[in-house]
Amino acid sequence: MATKGVTLNTNARKIRFARRFISILLKMRKTRSPCSSSSIEDVRKRSQRIKIAAYSSMAHAVGPRRAWSRAVLFKLRSRARHQSMMKRRSFGLQKKRVVVVKNNNDIIPSGQLSQADRLRQLVPGGKAMDMCSLLEETADYISCLATQVKVMQTIADHFSK
Amino acid sequence: MEHEFFLNAGMPTWHSLSSAMDIQGTDQSSDCLLNPSWETSADHGVHFDSALSSMVSSPAASNTNVPNDSFVIRELIGKLGNIGNSGEISPHSGPLLGNATIAAATSYNSANTSAYTTPLNSPPKLGVTMIKHLVNEKSSPNSGKPMPLNSSVAEFSADPGFAERAARFSRFGSRSFNGRTTQFVPNNAEVPYKSNLLHRVASSPSLKAVGSQMGAQESNNSPELANSQEESTVSEQIPNGETGLKGTHDSNSRKRKAASKGKAKEPALSPFANATKVAEANDNSNAKRCKPSEPDGNENGPVKAEETRGSAGEEQDAKTNNTKPPEAPKDYIHVRARRGQATDSHSLAERVRREKISERMKLLQDLVPGCNKVTGKALMLDEIINYVQSLQRQVEFLSMKLASVNTRLDFNLDNLIHKDHPIFPLDSSASAFYGHQPQQNEALNANISNGTVTQSSVDPLQLPPLNGFSDTVSQYTMFGEDDLQTIVQMGFGNRETALQPQSFHGEEKIMRKSVFL
Repeated sequence: MATKGVTLNTNARKIRFARRFISILLKMRKTRSPCSSSSIEDVRKRSQRIKIAAYSSMAHAVGPRRAWSRAVLFKLRSRARHQSMMKRRSFGLQKKRVVVVKNNNDIIPSGQLSQADRLRQLVPGGKAMDMCSLLEETADYISCLATQVKVMQTIADHFSK
Repeated sequence: MEHEFFLNAGMPTWHSLSSAMDIQGTDQSSDCLLNPSWETSADHGVHFDSALSSMVSSPAASNTNVPNDSFVIRELIGKLGNIGNSGEISPHSGPLLGNATIAAATSYNSANTSAYTTPLNSPPKLGVTMIKHLVNEKSSPNSGKPMPLNSSVAEFSADPGFAERAARFSRFGSRSFNGRTTQFVPNNAEVPYKSNLLHRVASSPSLKAVGSQMGAQESNNSPELANSQEESTVSEQIPNGETGLKGTHDSNSRKRKAASKGKAKEPALSPFANATKVAEANDNSNAKRCKPSEPDGNENGPVKAEETRGSAGEEQDAKTNNTKPPEAPKDYIHVRARRGQATDSHSLAERVRREKISERMKLLQDLVPGCNKVTGKALMLDEIINYVQSLQRQVEFLSMKLASVNTRLDFNLDNLIHKDHPIFPLDSSASAFYGHQPQQNEALNANISNGTVTQSSVDPLQLPPLNGFSDTVSQYTMFGEDDLQTIVQMGFGNRETALQPQSFHGEEKIMRKSVFL
């Protein structure tokens, strides 16, 4: 049945995502120092890392089949590469580095983005898609986000009880 | 069958051709070889060579025979051309109908549209019989004698003098009248109906053009006829790869548009039937109706006038017939225009694009909750954007929650395990799974007891209250029962492979169990 196939597919994604996500959480829990303070800054950093972990594990669960997952993975890899390069470079060189800041807001045509452009900003990798594929990717992205939220909610509820 | 065909034609060259075909050793291939050659009356050699090369099968020896055969066939084609363009017309149907045309040839006497074979059968007789039929038609344009009329059409096409008579009796250039006749099977049903509509006869100047266009017509018509579509096509449904057709697509689409009327019958039949009925004078009123009904009668120069009339007639028909047929299923190549809509390639492509987008919007409507009432692309997009934003905010919120929880707690293994049972219905398999790894549970219980000490001081969130999320978060409850069971069943396969008897990973395993159960 088509519906059963869809459910199985979403369940497979759910499981893959959850496995990856939980393994990352465990890693984080292990690596964090046992006497770390629960300052807001630390919590924010951790939450940022957890968010990145969630998106990356979701993209890995979906695989390279989807344009948006490819965009997410590419972003992560380029970011990792950038970070490793930053670490390798000496401090002296870092000062001379030119930091390129991409400001997408410069491209606002008339102060108000069109709906399609707003959607493009939301969906990863949507800037280079035509309307048709953008809608398709949005549908898949929405379903993946929904499963992501479900799993994270479950985990959070478990841990908070 | 084809041998009979050739024998009936009484042409010695046919025999040689058939024998040449025999050399190739494949009866079917010769059938196919012959048929595609007829399409391209303009480019005999080129197309026939290509057709031959494509059709010639394995034997290497045949390759050497091919050039020889092609010469023979070219001669034949030339000879056929002398007989009259109409002579070429009949084979045009060949590639499309295949055996059907041959059967038509054999069934000529059955007064079906096998008439096209008749020109070869008895060209000299056509003049006499044609005149007779003309007279008959004039006397009774609405006669219910489809059969003799059909045969007369075939005879018309064969007669070299037909062009003159056609010019006399017809103002319309129905290029495809010959093509219509090939659809003899449906014609049987249609002819009585169409007999009232005749008036299209190929105009004299367009006869030659007709011959060249026949293949286009037929190849385009046959799929239409088979489907009895009322819509016009802008598709490359030309299986035999006729190059000449590319330029005629627009005109074809125009014709098809005119052709689509309330008549769900094969529109292609009308030109054939129309061609048979030469007496236009009696059908002035019908003419306007018929013109739109004429499937591919409109072509090029003489046709343009008809097209305008056809479009007018189509409007009339549109008013009378409000039935809009469902759009034919589209694949990437084939697109059908709807009735009463523009048919140039740009607008068609745009319509395809628009329909794809609307299809995707419908899918999104199912995904986004509360979108059933919203109609319109703009509102839907707003809803979608809001929903995506809310989901992303939820992810951020939950990650914050998890971060704070992580700092505060060890994993509440005890709670997780004990809570799972009342909250989630465990399968018997799940319990078996638990029983599967008893040792680990025992080992972990010790750790659990240690872990529970820190539980009491849980203060999960210092986050600012996000009231907006309370409603949405409640929606995201635990996995549904169905999900859980399927996940459990699916997860077991993973679990057992993932689990390793190491206390180091004990916590991880139990956490996984709890999450998935």
